[in-house]
Formats: sequence, C-alpha cells, structure tokens
Amino acid sequence: MSNLQIFVILSGIVLTVLIVWYFWFAPRVQTRLTVSATGMQEAAILVKGGYSPDVIVVQKGRPVRLTFTRQESSACSEQVLFPDFNQNALLPEGEPVTLEFTPEKAGEYGFQCQMGMLRGKLIVE
Amino acid sequence: MTQRDPVCGMDIAPESAAAERKHMGQTFYFCSQSCVEQFDREPHSYVMTSTTTGFNPERSLARIELPVSDLPLVRPALELEKALNSLEGVDQVTVNAGAGLLRLDYDPLKVNIARMAAAVRASGYTLEGLQTRLGIENLRCASCVKFIEDELKSTPGVLTASVNIATQEATVEYLPQSTTLADLKHAIETWGYKPRPATSETPIDKQEEAHALEYSKLMRKFWFAAVISVVVMITAYYQVVPILRNLSMDSLRLLWGVTALLTLPVMFWSGSDFFTGAWAAFKHRSANMNTLIALGTGAAWLYSTFAIAVPSVFPEGTAEPFYDVVAVVIALVVLGQALELRAKGQSSAAIKKLLGLQAKTARVIRDGNEMDLPVEEVLVGDVIQVRPGEKVPVDGVIVEGSSAVDESMLTGESLPTSKKIGDEVIGATINKTGAFKFRTTKVGKDTALAQIVKMVQDAQNSKAPIARLVDTVSGYFVPIVMILAVWTFVIWFVIGPQPQLVYALVTSVTVLIIACPCALGLATPMSLMVGIGKGAEHGILIRSGEALQTARAIQIVVLDKTGTITKGKPELTDTVIADRGQWKMEELLRLTASVEKVSEHPLAQAIVDGAQVQKLALTDVQDFEAIPGHGVSAKVEGRNILIGNLKLMNRENVVLGELEEKSKSLADDGKTPMFIAIGGKAAGIIAVADTVKEDSAEAIKALQGLGIEVVMITGDNLRTAEAIARKVGITRVLAEVLPEDKANNVHLLQAENKKVAMVGDGINDAPALAQADVGLAIGTGTDVAIEASDITLIKGSLKGVVTAIEISRATMTNIYQNLFGAFIYNTLGVPIAMGLLFPFFGILLSPMIAGAAMAFSSVTVVGNANRLRGFKPKFSAK
Repeated sequence: MSNLQIFVILSGIVLTVLIVWYFWFAPRVQTRLTVSATGMQEAAILVKGGYSPDVIVVQKGRPVRLTFTRQESSACSEQVLFPDFNQNALLPEGEPVTLEFTPEKAGEYGFQCQMGMLRGKLIVE
Repeated sequence: MTQRDPVCGMDIAPESAAAERKHMGQTFYFCSQSCVEQFDREPHSYVMTSTTTGFNPERSLARIELPVSDLPLVRPALELEKALNSLEGVDQVTVNAGAGLLRLDYDPLKVNIARMAAAVRASGYTLEGLQTRLGIENLRCASCVKFIEDELKSTPGVLTASVNIATQEATVEYLPQSTTLADLKHAIETWGYKPRPATSETPIDKQEEAHALEYSKLMRKFWFAAVISVVVMITAYYQVVPILRNLSMDSLRLLWGVTALLTLPVMFWSGSDFFTGAWAAFKHRSANMNTLIALGTGAAWLYSTFAIAVPSVFPEGTAEPFYDVVAVVIALVVLGQALELRAKGQSSAAIKKLLGLQAKTARVIRDGNEMDLPVEEVLVGDVIQVRPGEKVPVDGVIVEGSSAVDESMLTGESLPTSKKIGDEVIGATINKTGAFKFRTTKVGKDTALAQIVKMVQDAQNSKAPIARLVDTVSGYFVPIVMILAVWTFVIWFVIGPQPQLVYALVTSVTVLIIACPCALGLATPMSLMVGIGKGAEHGILIRSGEALQTARAIQIVVLDKTGTITKGKPELTDTVIADRGQWKMEELLRLTASVEKVSEHPLAQAIVDGAQVQKLALTDVQDFEAIPGHGVSAKVEGRNILIGNLKLMNRENVVLGELEEKSKSLADDGKTPMFIAIGGKAAGIIAVADTVKEDSAEAIKALQGLGIEVVMITGDNLRTAEAIARKVGITRVLAEVLPEDKANNVHLLQAENKKVAMVGDGINDAPALAQADVGLAIGTGTDVAIEASDITLIKGSLKGVVTAIEISRATMTNIYQNLFGAFIYNTLGVPIAMGLLFPFFGILLSPMIAGAAMAFSSVTVVGNANRLRGFKPKFSAK
C-alpha cells in the first residue's frame, strides 16, 4: 500500500470522526429567553437556510412569543410548524409572523419547516 | 363670553350662573338649580355626544372604547393604566374587564389612537381591531410613505398603520365601529394617491402568488443552467464532436477553462440556494439536501479546475474536467424543485375551494340605511339583508322574512333547508327562494366557515405519528450519506481500478447527489395535506394527522343510539284504531293532535307535526288538564278525550281489549304507544318513536363490509335498543348505560385489545369520545368546533363514518407508498451509486443520471400524493 493510499484512508477516518462529532455530538449554542415584565418570553427568529437562533430555552408555564421573519424565497421554508403545540404559520417573505403559546410541560420540542429540511428545538425547563 | 348650559342649552354668562360643576377637566355652568340637579344625576351623558368615539364639538376631549381581549378580571391592570396615563393628552382611563373594553378620554389634538394603541400593546395586552390591507397605486417616493402613514394614523378609529413601499400597500388595523374602509381610502386620497384593492387578501392567495413568483424564478434559473449545460456537454464529449476532436490538448484545456468560468454563474446564480442553504445549515450544525448538492457539485468543480490548471500533478488520463456534471445536476435539481412547487400548489386545492365559498360583500342595514360593505367590516349584531340567489355573508339568526337556503357546501344536505324567523343561517350558504334579514352572531374568524378552514389548515400541518419516526431517521440521514461518500472515495481510491482518482471522485460525487432526503421528508406531509383536504370536501373534518392514522386501524365502531343512528327527535309512526271503535284513523289523529297542541310534552309535538304533515285542521280545546305520570284529558268538539298510558286507562276504567296487546307489540318495536279514549271508550293508539335515519342501515352495513364490528350504546332499555338494533343490523347492543358510564364501556371494549372508535353527538358523549382511540362527533350546522372529537362529521349522516375510514385508509396507503418508494429509492440508489454493481456487472452510475433521479424522486412523491385527489368514497354521504 502506497503512502498516498494510507494517507487517503487516514483522511477518511478523520473526516468520518469530524462529521459525526460536528453534526451529532458537538454542543450547540442555546439561546435562553428572559421573562419580560409582563411574563412573556419573546424571541425574534430569522429564517434563512435555517432558524437563527435554532435552539431556544424557555421556562415552562409562561407564554412564549416567537416572531419569525423569513428572508428567502425558497418555498421550502414557507411554513413553520410546532407539531407538539399544534401551532403553525405561513411565513410570507419579509413579513414578521408571530406565534404565541404556553408550554406547560418541560421537555424538548422540535420545530421545523413542512418537509423537515430546516429544524430547530424549543427546550422547556 | 357666554357659556352654554349643557342641560337646557341656554346661553348664560358664567358670572350669573346658578351653579357650576367641574367634570373631566372642564367647567360647566347652569342656568337653574333644576338643570344642575339633572346634570349631577348623569354628568357623563352631557359630556359625550357618542359612547364610542367622535368629537364633541364643544369639548376638547374625545372618548374611545378599545376592545382589549385579555384584561385581567380580578386584579386591576395598574401597569396598563399607568402607561396610558403617562401619555400626554390622555385624560381618563377606565378599565371594563367584564366587557373587555378599555375606555379612554383623550385630547385628540395631543395624542392619537395609534399612540394609545401602541401603549396598550407595549403593556402586553392584545388589542382587537380589524386588519386590512390597501393597495396604493404608483407609490414611488419614500417620503410620502410617512405622510400617508400619519394621515391614516390620525383617522379616528385607526390603531396602527404602516405603508410598505416595496409592495405598495398599506396595512391598517382599525376599529370598524369607528371608521370604514371608505374613510381609510379617503385618507390615502388626500395625499393624491389612488387606493386600489390589495393584491392579495388571504394568506392562501399570498402563498399562491409567492409560489408563482418562485416558480418563474426557478424556471429562469433552470433555463439558464440548461443552456450552459448544452455548451458544457459539447466540450466534455469532445471526442465525438467534429471540430473539437481535432483540437490539441492545450486548446482543449483553454476551452475547458472557458467552461469553468461558464459554470460559475450556474453554481452561484442558478444553484445559489444550494450553497447559501448548505452554509446556513452548516452553521446550525445540521445538513440537508442543499448540503449534499453543494458538496457534490462543489467537489466536481474544484477537481475539474485543478485538473485543467495543473494537469501534471494528476496521474496520466485523469486530468479531465467534469463541468458537465456541475451544470446538468444543478439544472435538473432546479427543474425538479420547480415541478415540485407546481404540484404542491394543487395539494392545497381543498382549502382554496373552501375559501372561495366566502361571500365578498354584505348588504348591511345600519341606522335604517342599506349599504354594501366588504364582509370583513360586518360586525356582530348588524342586520343584513339577503336576497334570493345571494350568498349569506356571515353566521346569524333570521329576524325578518323566510326562505329556503342551500347549505350543501357546508353540511352536504342536498335539499335546501327552510328557514324562518329565529332560525340559524350559516355564512357561505346560498339563499334560494325568499328574501330575509338576519342579525349576525358570528363574523370574521368566528364564522363556521372560518373555523372549518382553520381546523383543516391546522390538521393539514399537524403530524402523523409515522412522520415522527421519519423525522428521527432523516435527522441522521444526511451525515450518514456524507460518511458513505467519504468511504466510497477511499475504497475506490485504494482498491479501485485505474484511473483510481477519477473513479473515486465520480462515485463519491454520485453518492452525494443521488441521496434524496427530500422525498423522505415530503412523503407524509404531502399525503396528509391532500387526504385531510379531501375529508373536508366530503364534510369530514379530521382534526390531526394522528386521528387520520388511527382511524385506519379501527376494529370496533361504537355508535350512540339517539341522534347518531336515529334522528334524535320523536316522530309519529303508527295510528291504530280499535276494532269495534267508531273512529276513522284521520279523525282520531285530528282530535288527538288538537289536544296535544296545547300540551308541552316533547312527544306531543311529534303528534302535532304528524297531523300537520297530513294537512289536518286542528280545532280548539277546552278543559285541558295534564295528569302527571298518566297523560292528559281535554274536551274537543264536545267530546271528552283521554290520552295517556295504561295507568290512565285503568284509572278511568276504559276497556282496552285487544289494544293492550297491540300496544305491547309497538313497545317491542321501540316505540312509545299512547292510548286514546273518546267519550270513555277506547278509540285507538297513537305511537311515536325516535326513528332511524334513512341511511343508517346502509352505513352500518358498509362498516361491517369493511371488516369493522359495529356496537350500539344507549341509555335506553334493552327492548327499545334491540328493536332499533334489529332494524339497522347491529347484533351487539350495550343498553341501559348511564351517560357517565359510556366512557367506561368504551374502555372495556379497548380492553379486548382492539382499536375503538366512538361516534356520538359530541355534547353528552364527550367523555366517551375522548376515551375512544378515535372520537367522531356528528355535528350539524355551525357547531363544527366540537372539542372532544378527533373527527367531526358536519353532515348528520353515519355514512360520514364510512367515508372517514375510507379516507384514512386511502391516505395512509398513499403515505406508505411514498415512504416505501423514498426508502427503496435511497437504499437501492446509494449502494448503486457507490459502485456495488461494478465488480459484478461493470455498472456505474453517471452523476448526471443520479441528479435526474434525485430531482424526480421528490416530484414523484408529490405526484403520488396528488393522486389522492382523485379519491372517491364508495358512496357519497349526500
């Protein structure tokens, strides 16, 4: 086996480890919402190729108000769904759309576009 | 300067006034003591000209009542009051939490409604106004935006206004009791602009417009990529192209250099979404279809460019470019997206159809004037005139006139329903024959139609349990494909045939491109959308994907008897005359009905209705007496008439003879017989019963035909229950079940390890509906939002149960087909792309074919989902 082949194999192993680490194990940036004076937990979320922020930490039992603004025309992200809260909204391009609900139980709830290409997570504590 | 006495209107000098009062920041003068006393009793009524809004010409303060939905009932809304009071010009804040109103007295010169509305919102409360969008023609200058906004904001009744120069539209939120659309349009006209209808009013239209725009954008991108692809293909297969094959290697490399530049706009314009999408996903530590396409085409382009720039580093024969792969794959995938978008548009056809039912305008009568208003401006309590042939604009109750109304679009009832004063009318139904006026009870998002649309949309976007499984899988899918691509490269490079580098690169690029997470992701939602929409078309509102999925596996259907199998309303069924009696059947019924007309017993109405069907003329009654637990007695046309049960006849010593036997057999049939004695002699029996709906037996047979066990549950006695069960072909009867035990009985059936559906009216049966795996509520008319149910059948017919199960089965089959297709496609496609077949058959996939396969696999999924649109129930529930 030539050195080049060994190098390619080793690169393959390194890449595999990197992919697994980066997509599954690396810690994600969490955005913790603060509770405003009125008890509302608010966040503005930008929709462009993904949700920013995409991991949102909120407190249970307090209303959450999320304002989505979609800044792309790709039809994929035209809808955002919170299946666990039975919430969904059409996101016309450039128009802020607000979703409001109160998570009552702690847990991790996903949100996503209709076909699941863009994903985010709502962590209720 | 004289002042006007607010009570009598006399002009008086303040110095000589009999009295003065200060109220709400203003001083009032009075001519006499009686005037001031009158004022003191109700000072407010002299201050205001209107309770809702408007200027009092003699006062500087104005008053407005803002509808705020979430005012706290118990604790005072101190922070809200503080916020409003801190605004300059706000004089007084009154919170009426019970009515959900916030009353503001303010100086319109110092503060406008928009600012107060903003303060209410800033305090965290919800202001309920109407929102409308108005188009503005030729709005070009950015500075005019502010002028128009300010003008709109200063229009009384406007809460917020914003003008968007890009869309040339103003979005205005306003209180419909204080202003009309005409006022808003006038405000725009004052700045010399012409208002026009907004390009789109409903989100669905907006979505459609966005889709049309996106479609043409994608097609432009596709055509550009396609043209470049042809050019690039010619240079890639130079060996077979007449002039090119004679070129030297150096000139060819120069030519390839040109194609390298040509493919750049294909990647970064036609395929820009892939690269920006991939990068955005990467930043979020996730990967999707964009990642795969971007990696695949990016790798192909980089390799090609290296190969022609520094061919010496590459082994002999491997320094050839793959720009064709880049251009063709991007062209195909973009085309696939465009086709998918087009197919998706068809999937929401059901919602569009429902929204299309909505009337656009209403003829409202306010203060005696008829005016045509857009339906959005109609308020609860308005009186609306509807002429023959017109649509009923919103929900309400008839106050004048009568007509026949075609409600088929909502209830599926094909015959027009006759409506008289006091009857409910539903928006979007069509008035057939007469003219009537009705008072609105529900408008806007509260109407039956709006609720149906909302329910259907929510359900379409909910998730079937199976979709959660798919989500878990697709969360791992893309990274796994990337790892597979890496190892495909490694294996081909290490043990593959010559030229290894080319094989390694081509196969790994093919793996990246052929994998299609989209087909997997689209499989469930697209079918769900079409299936639930199809349900709505047939008057079946499926609440969620979960309900749809569970309905497929139903093994037992429990039917409530009253109101579900039967009409839930007693009807006259039999008239029996005594053998030796002297009375004809018609005469007997006429006399009985005359007596029962006076009675308030529910069974009495059935007899009166029965007589009216036969067009019998009822006469007056004397000495009517109700004998509790027995029946009634009365005098008609000089004859003593007794109507009642056996107890009454025995008490009055009436000899019944063979009638007693007949009454027993009637009771065996589940009917309620009543003896009639005229002049102390037995005359006959009249029986009433809650009759079975015409199509119940047929529907139950169809359910049994689907392999489902049908069980009847009722609080009635076993004899009555079995009589009905026999009629409709049910063998298993749960009778004498108390309402509170119904849920428990459903639970017992579930304990047989079977999936149980419960069908009931949704009010008495709520716990049982909730207990069942699938609860189906039979509703009629406006009560569509039955909370406890998973599925609501708007048509009163049991056939809806059959159709619901059929739709569920058809939809789930469609979902399984899609998932199977997407799964098989990926599990076969990826290994073939890796070159699994190469050692045996020498077959290797071209990346371009992979691109085509990937693009059309998701189109196929959407296409298959659209096939559901052709679904037809076995029998129509109409």
